[in-house]
Amino acid sequence: MNSHRLGAALHTEALEARFALRATAHLTAQADALPNDISERLRIARENAVRRARATRVEVAPQVAVSRSGGTLTWPGTPSGGGSGWWVKLAALLPLVALVAGLMLIQDWHGSNQVSAAAEIDASLLADDLPPSAYSDPGFLEFLKSPQE
Amino acid sequence: MASDKELSDFLKSVERRAFKRAAYAVRDDDAALDIVQDAMIRLAENYADRPASELPLLFQRILSNATMDWFRRQKVRGALFRNFSEFESSSDDGDHDLLETLAGQDETSVTESAAESFSRAQIMLLIDGEVSRLPARQREAFLLRYWEELDVAETAAVMGCSEGSVKTHCSRAVHSLAASLKTKGITL
Repeated sequence: MNSHRLGAALHTEALEARFALRATAHLTAQADALPNDISERLRIARENAVRRARATRVEVAPQVAVSRSGGTLTWPGTPSGGGSGWWVKLAALLPLVALVAGLMLIQDWHGSNQVSAAAEIDASLLADDLPPSAYSDPGFLEFLKSPQE
Repeated sequence: MASDKELSDFLKSVERRAFKRAAYAVRDDDAALDIVQDAMIRLAENYADRPASELPLLFQRILSNATMDWFRRQKVRGALFRNFSEFESSSDDGDHDLLETLAGQDETSVTESAAESFSRAQIMLLIDGEVSRLPARQREAFLLRYWEELDVAETAAVMGCSEGSVKTHCSRAVHSLAASLKTKGITL
């Protein structure tokens, strides 16, 4: 039953296609007999389009060369063009590397400053006449807080 | 990448059909020429780097878009309020000079009798008129599928609809054409 229906559908499709192709053959014949002025305008449009395509291709080619050579106007296919892409990528990383190195230097310098400040305090405490244990005595702390005459 | 020659040959092979397609849609030869020129330029500027095998589908899609753009521009200009009698295609038939068509035929038609030639020219005009009277979507599907010889999937891609819709549009167009030609005593 289904195969019968499928066969009928295919037959209808084939008939439709045959009719359509005959009809479009007439349309083609009529399109081939277009008035001369229309044919000429189509020809001019076609030539303009081909000229535009040529111009577009010429414009695109140097742009590719510029992007690949990292800002140097080099025509594509020159010997230096091949490996320069990696150098461009490496050069782009240089500022980042410099920034990280700078931050590490600043942190190092800051740390050494703190160490030397703490060493100075320790040195002055040890070199003083007053023993360091005096600072843990509550009475002495009260004495320090009281107004001196 | 399509060479200049390939692009030129391709455009030459489709330009007449493209013009007729646009003319069926907009019913104005000058506008149709502008649309075809616009489509050719768009293809050349944006897709000149594509291989030649991709050009047919791209061009049909661009042509459809260019035609839609034309309708949008017309709508903006208030074309909705235009006198709809302009859309009657009977005036086109009346303007057509049959002698011009006959004169444009090649040398092989010399062997054809005058009556046969006249009859063929009349059939051509009748089919042309009936195709132009088809609903826009049916006509688009019919022309893309059978005149441009795109397959169902490609036609669906150009028209932006499903493959089922393409089949339905094509079938309806064929039946409608066959019926209207039959009433005029023409069977293909």
